[in-house]
Amino acid sequence: MPEALEVDVLIVGGGPAGLSAALRMAQLGKATGGRPLAIAVLEKAREAGAHMLSGAVLDPSSLRDLVPDYEAKGAPVSTPVGEDRVYVLTPSGKIRFPITPPPLKNHGHYIISLNRFVKWLAGLVEAEGVDLFTGFPGGELLMEGDAVVGVRTGPHGINKKGEHKATFEPGVEIRAKVTILADGVRGNLTKVLQGRLGLGAGRQPQLFAIGIKELWSVPPDRLAAGTVIHTMGYPLGFEQFGGGFIYAMPGGDISLGFVVGLDYKDPMFDPHDAFNRFKMHPFVRRLLDGGQLVRYGAKALPEGGWSTIPRCYADGALIVGDAAGFMNSMRLKGIHLAMRSGMLAAETAYEAVRDGDTSAARLQQFEQRVNDGPIKRELYPVRNVHQAFGHGLLAGLAYAGFALLTGGWWPRPMKSIPGHQRMEKLAAMPNRVTDASKPDRKITFDKVTNVHFSGTRHDEDQPSHLLVQTDVCHSICTEEYGNPCQRFCPANVYEMVMDAAASRLQINASNCVHCKTCDIMDPYQVITWVTPEGGGGPRYDGM
Amino acid sequence: MILVVAEQRDGILNRATWETVAAAQQLADGSADRSIAIAILGSNTATAAKELAAAGAKDVQAVIVVDHAALELYTPDGYVAVLESLVADLKPSRVLLPHTYQTRDFAPMLAARLGRALVTDVMRMKTAGGDTVFVRPMFQGKLTADVSPQGPTPHLVTFQIGAFRGDQVTKGASPTPVRAMTVTLDAAAIREKPEPPFREARQAVDLSQAERIVAVGRGIKGQEHLPVAEKLAAALDAELAASRPICDAGWLPMERQVGSSGQTVAPKLYLALGISGAIQHLVGMKGARTIVAINKDPDAPMFEVADYGIVGDLFEIVPAMVSELTKT
Repeated sequence: MPEALEVDVLIVGGGPAGLSAALRMAQLGKATGGRPLAIAVLEKAREAGAHMLSGAVLDPSSLRDLVPDYEAKGAPVSTPVGEDRVYVLTPSGKIRFPITPPPLKNHGHYIISLNRFVKWLAGLVEAEGVDLFTGFPGGELLMEGDAVVGVRTGPHGINKKGEHKATFEPGVEIRAKVTILADGVRGNLTKVLQGRLGLGAGRQPQLFAIGIKELWSVPPDRLAAGTVIHTMGYPLGFEQFGGGFIYAMPGGDISLGFVVGLDYKDPMFDPHDAFNRFKMHPFVRRLLDGGQLVRYGAKALPEGGWSTIPRCYADGALIVGDAAGFMNSMRLKGIHLAMRSGMLAAETAYEAVRDGDTSAARLQQFEQRVNDGPIKRELYPVRNVHQAFGHGLLAGLAYAGFALLTGGWWPRPMKSIPGHQRMEKLAAMPNRVTDASKPDRKITFDKVTNVHFSGTRHDEDQPSHLLVQTDVCHSICTEEYGNPCQRFCPANVYEMVMDAAASRLQINASNCVHCKTCDIMDPYQVITWVTPEGGGGPRYDGM
Repeated sequence: MILVVAEQRDGILNRATWETVAAAQQLADGSADRSIAIAILGSNTATAAKELAAAGAKDVQAVIVVDHAALELYTPDGYVAVLESLVADLKPSRVLLPHTYQTRDFAPMLAARLGRALVTDVMRMKTAGGDTVFVRPMFQGKLTADVSPQGPTPHLVTFQIGAFRGDQVTKGASPTPVRAMTVTLDAAAIREKPEPPFREARQAVDLSQAERIVAVGRGIKGQEHLPVAEKLAAALDAELAASRPICDAGWLPMERQVGSSGQTVAPKLYLALGISGAIQHLVGMKGARTIVAINKDPDAPMFEVADYGIVGDLFEIVPAMVSELTKT
């Protein structure tokens, strides 16, 4: 008989949204007295924070409400933002924006490591008596009709052939009155629930980007701690959404990365290659020269904003954080919204459990709280901005300015087109120039080397957690798109290998950094990301 | 009375038995009936029984030997049948067992047969309001559960290996009396027919001990070309190893994989055939004393760590090496 556990509230995902939900709920229990709720948090990483990756600049507004004495409690927020700079890069030069656009002003914010921040938050959560199960992925939803009644964790100890190894442990059924899905961008459970209940009906489809980030240790005089730099332009063309970021921490620690919209047209485009070009730009290169790569990682981001957020409640379930898409792509921030959505979901779930009604009708109060509070206040006015960038950088910038003045007005809602549908076939791009850059192994690296620096580990002897209908790969994809999975994956998971005369797709699943890009960007939508054995994945120390 | 079920194989006592005796003594300490009996099942168990008796462990009233030809090799049916009748005779309040593989095999069946509660993998015990509460791990040790078995006695309890210390058994001066018990055991009723214990024919490869290693990478192109490398390995008296893609494709078993998700090796000689030298592979073999790389790509990172490098086709070079090495 598999082990089973019953809790009042189950939270899937120990990121900023999930942990904020857990902490808020524990606080509510304490404040109102009575029977404390049984709360459990599932986290697929071996330890709290290990799969956390963000820039990151933290707007502390939600933190202040959740943990008012966060400084006394030792929150790792020691680098206040000092100076903001925005540049447009040309192939060899840079033009500084004369003023920092208001959404990119970070006065009063902190440069943080989300990995350390979440580790700290996890400590607070556990101190409140919440059970945090690290190393246990949410494998599948337990449903009764349209109601979510819990989650089954992924099993351990299954070999490549699907047979039980000596270490086999079946998944654990965790049944809950309310399940809060905080499974992150393109969360595997949220995706299933959204499809099954049609939670995206009447909303725009979500739009995504991929962020690739490295942590560097450089001579400390290169950039003053607290400096925040954002770049536009090179190496992207005007038609592409994206840009670079460089955040300076004390002691010569630099966090730099590159974000690219997952709606680019050229199937030969490679986000990792764009990141390398960004690093080879004279301006960036000068910062890194003589320094050392410390960590590498990648993660998708939900960029679509307000109009792409699905219905976030169902019978017995709520969706929070990146899983729902609570991110402000204009301010390049989502941690505070993830935390806020977690807190509001906790308040909703707490009352619902207390009153014994966890139906969708009751949990709809979460939506009300989102609409009445700071989340809508922040996201609604910029609801069309990312969509405007779909028409190119200049249109996007022009509309962004317009939206600031008008509160986001436009005659009709701007449409989102799913990014994978925008990819053009090779035949439609006859004149493209292929000139993939070659890594110098000092400043720039190939993907395989980069993966090593992500600390990623999976047990090799387990079934692939990337379910691919591979018959598409050689039959039509090679001809139509040139197998773009090889390029959009930042971790070299996908490789077309020539065996004798035929090519076959080799899936190096153990390289996977859990960024979800393949699940999002594959043009035929034949890749499904499911959770690997618990504990596997990157180790984003300090990211 | 507390009944401890000892475990032995080929007449040699499993050390975990003493740990269970220690647990039994701790339990007996607080109860009105302090008596403990140890049961040992098997065939030719005299030595093991003597060892148990010689300790003269405190509170242990008897070592009960059930010797039967049909118990020579362990079977769940045989053990359950004997223990069922022992429990009926002795009427213990608890039956304690070490949480070994063997116990795991038959204890659930015994509990079901007796219709009694079973608590497994107990790490420690505590008393709460006069009741003994057993603490056991849940969810791979992330949580512990306090379990208080209910229903009629005897309750069955198994103890995690190492949770109690065998050397902390309180011993006495005079040996415990040994009592033989005869049980009727119908050998025909034992459904399992055990084979002689399986011993692994050959130890699995231990690449970390190898003096010479010939490793193949993607340059080998196909499983059908592996004999090229195998011949070189034979000529050098070397072990065959591989980079991840080769083992991932199933061309060689996973225990032959060198690198961050495989073995770490430090041989005197490491010959890398068609291995580009991804950092994940290098971390597993850069401790080798002499590294020889053969690769078509002059830019392969493997050449950066190699002491000797040959840029060329391994299918030409390796056979030439083999023929030189095997010249007499």
